[in-house]
Amino acid sequence: MKNLLARPIVRLLLAVVIAVVIIVAPISSSSFINYQLSLIAVFAVALLGLNIVMGYTGQVSLGQSAFLGLGAYIAAYGVRQEWPVVVIFLLCCIIPAAVGLLVALAAARLRGLALAMVTIALPIIGVPLAKRFPDFTGGSVGSTVSWLEAPEGSGLADDQFRYYLVVAIAVVLFILGRNLVRGRIGRAFAIVKSNEAVALSMGISPYRYKVLAFTIASLFGGASGFLYIAVVQYTSPETLSFATSINLVAAMVIGGSASILGTVLGAIYFVMLPVVAGQIDSSRTALISGAALLLVLFLLPGGLVSLPRRIAQLVRGGRGGSPRSRAAADRPPTGDTAPRTTAAPEAEKQPR
Amino acid sequence: MAAELVLRDINLRFGGIKVLQDVSMAVESGRIFGLVGPNGAGKTSLFNCISGHYRASSGSITIDGVETSGKSASQMTKFGLARTFQHPALQLHETVLENVLLGAHSTLAGGPVSWALRMPWTTRSEKAARTEAAELLERLGLGDVADTPAGELSPGLHKTIELVRALLSKPRLLLLDEPAAGLSHTEVEAFIASIRGVRDDFDLTIVIVEHHMGLISAVTDRVMVLDHGATLMEGTAREAQSDPRVIEAYLGQASTAEVSGEPAGA
Repeated sequence: MKNLLARPIVRLLLAVVIAVVIIVAPISSSSFINYQLSLIAVFAVALLGLNIVMGYTGQVSLGQSAFLGLGAYIAAYGVRQEWPVVVIFLLCCIIPAAVGLLVALAAARLRGLALAMVTIALPIIGVPLAKRFPDFTGGSVGSTVSWLEAPEGSGLADDQFRYYLVVAIAVVLFILGRNLVRGRIGRAFAIVKSNEAVALSMGISPYRYKVLAFTIASLFGGASGFLYIAVVQYTSPETLSFATSINLVAAMVIGGSASILGTVLGAIYFVMLPVVAGQIDSSRTALISGAALLLVLFLLPGGLVSLPRRIAQLVRGGRGGSPRSRAAADRPPTGDTAPRTTAAPEAEKQPR
Repeated sequence: MAAELVLRDINLRFGGIKVLQDVSMAVESGRIFGLVGPNGAGKTSLFNCISGHYRASSGSITIDGVETSGKSASQMTKFGLARTFQHPALQLHETVLENVLLGAHSTLAGGPVSWALRMPWTTRSEKAARTEAAELLERLGLGDVADTPAGELSPGLHKTIELVRALLSKPRLLLLDEPAAGLSHTEVEAFIASIRGVRDDFDLTIVIVEHHMGLISAVTDRVMVLDHGATLMEGTAREAQSDPRVIEAYLGQASTAEVSGEPAGA
């Protein structure tokens, strides 16, 4: 299966199939399904930002919902002021990014628990702040907009039009994000996560790259706030609540940390789990969500994205050996582990 | 052009602990210089001062006459310095090629915006770096495993990968921290055989911290022996090995306790 996926032609075909599914999906679906699919795209963007700072760069961020909320409020305000859509979108990116940059300039000096505390403060301060400025935010009631109706003559329903708009923006942002986490910048993020001393010796300032990762995360958070207003047409202090941040972190881990595909899976989980759990038993939604969370973490510590690898492991080597050897490979190499791996690769290396 | 490294009266204190005391040394351009001494003598601390990971409490460090003490470690690639660590810290799930490409960070073109947009100059410089990395891997015998995840290779090969990673930043001065630690006998022999060639091909000055005396005598032009953070003697490896003070520092008297704490790791 892995070899098959490595072939360019297979990858191309797969990409075409996925593209066709994405384009065809909303045509015959109900508006409820289109709404859910659009929400997946919305939260995928927020999760991508979170994954860049937390999954790829290893910096705890429990404040992503604050940027989502900020973006949503800016968009709602912009709609009320009847600004052009493009201007609103740009402001939804730039203002949260600027706020994120300012916070990161101070916060990126911290690590671990101290950093987590600073990022927690963002949604915790954000909620009362949003209630305090009703002229801008609509206070505790929130603000509703009526926006982005399908252009006449397009033949699209509003939900279909919004779906295409949101998915198109999300796809572009995902391409940019993917470009960032590969190559020069991505390698720098990865070494800042795993070893700052080595990063320094490569001419990489960990501080700068942490600030960069936070800024990008805030930008993506703000952009997802714009998409949120495009789909939901309503925002309230609830959008940026701390609980949303925690759920985003859970979704990121469940989808797959430091993985683009995992980010999409995480967004599907984030949006669909409450829906599915509500259908099973609407009075025990939280309980079912919690159970699902534990189940995934227990069976797939690498997230949903590691499912094919995990299945391959189980098929190949039984249950005992493989997970342990993977854990060993994740550990940094030390002198005393020498006998573990020396023999086989040596034999591989000699011939030729 | 290989760099010249001069240290004058380096002192390093952590609180009340004197880790290095008035250490001076001069490494001529193109030489291989050994830094030896018992555990806790301050060798790695001295490396950390040179590479900017520690800031010396006092003293001067110059590379080709340019003062570099006080500079941040992330600026040191600009002065042509590269170093390796006791523990290579590779990305074990990534391929060998992807791992060594990290070394090209400071030579690759473009910032975050250009890379997000995949501007032509970023792809061009990435391509050039990949070619160069592949050639370097070939040159040091890792051509066959370039596309293998680093985690599947032995610790000995990890050291070589780390060396290639360091070389890719095009240094003029290379600091190797215990390059033989964790290596098998054959791997040490291979390292000894290749290091002078590497020095000549890449026009390097090399400073090595190492416990393996066989390696030190085989490859170094000069050595300095550190003990308790101070210079014990400087000379050739042969002179060091027959110096009674060095023998005493290593084998010691039963009552001699280590007092200078060499901070763990790098």
